[in-house]
Amino acid sequence: MLFSMFLSFLKIGAFTIGGAYAMIPLIRKEVIDHKQWLSEGEFLDGLAAAQSCPGPIAVNISIYIGYRVAKKRGVAVAVLGTTLPSLFVIMIVASLFGKIANLEAVRRVFHALKPAVTAMIAVPVIQLSRSGGISIFNVWIPIGAAILVGIWQVNPIYLILITIAGALIESRIKLKKLTKQD
Amino acid sequence: MTYLWMMLTFAKIGLFSFGGGYAILAMIQHEVVINNQWLTSSEFFDVVAISQMTPGPIAINAATFIGYQKGGILGSLVCTLGVILPSLLIMTMITISYLKLRHKPWFQSVFYYLRPLSIGLIAAAAIIAGRDAIVDWFSIIVFAVCFALAWRFRLNPFLMLLVAGVIGFIWG
Repeated sequence: MLFSMFLSFLKIGAFTIGGAYAMIPLIRKEVIDHKQWLSEGEFLDGLAAAQSCPGPIAVNISIYIGYRVAKKRGVAVAVLGTTLPSLFVIMIVASLFGKIANLEAVRRVFHALKPAVTAMIAVPVIQLSRSGGISIFNVWIPIGAAILVGIWQVNPIYLILITIAGALIESRIKLKKLTKQD
Repeated sequence: MTYLWMMLTFAKIGLFSFGGGYAILAMIQHEVVINNQWLTSSEFFDVVAISQMTPGPIAINAATFIGYQKGGILGSLVCTLGVILPSLLIMTMITISYLKLRHKPWFQSVFYYLRPLSIGLIAAAAIIAGRDAIVDWFSIIVFAVCFALAWRFRLNPFLMLLVAGVIGFIWG
């Protein structure tokens, strides 16, 4: 069981390019259809939790599935499976890249790769704004964050801490109002 | 620079990144380029491009790559361990208690505000990437074409970067 899970996550980690959103459909297929470790509903709960938790989403969902299948040992196995392919491939690429980074041809390739990467980062902003519930009431949050962090180089950690504190205070105030009405 | 400091820096990145790979980039950029000055902005986006073209989670790839550049194989290991350490602690706790937590008003309230913030942080990463990447007519055209392809046709990222790389090799 543990070894089979390790191979599943190793396979997913090794063959998906483009991060968590490329990995999720494969993880879903493997975990629900092939191995039947979780039901559809359990998987979706896990996905929501993985997106709420800090850290890489692919790692978070691996932890959830690993824990549900085989507790702590399952977590260790699933996380190793997800991260080992990255470790090996990147170590090889990084050791080669140091030698070729300053070649003229490599500079030319990156001259085109960089605007392409910028586009790939920008597009999810629009897609997520649609699915992530952005409205005229909260659109100031992403715009403000983009200006503060992107232009004025404010540390994102401060924005996150302020946001969490503000949300907790707001929910407390709402709770007090509700209890007064009762 | 000690390995411990590298691990702690990446643990901080993991702890404060909500919303996955692209939101993490804003955090890595701030720590690695501005706070610690391990890489220049240009070197950082070399790493981002490679992280997107190689298999696995982007944040793990970037952590491994930066770790390798700054401290070889051991550097890779400590940075990768650092970035997943908060996940290991927090996600395990959430897995055990999420079904209870998700109906709590304070929990819902926090994520009602954190989600739009994550989107803003991704936009910030795009702005920072753009300042380094979009420097002449060639790069403006590449950006516009890739943006349209990724948005309208959801072109596979690997394929898109491969084609962009070939075009850069020929005309860049």
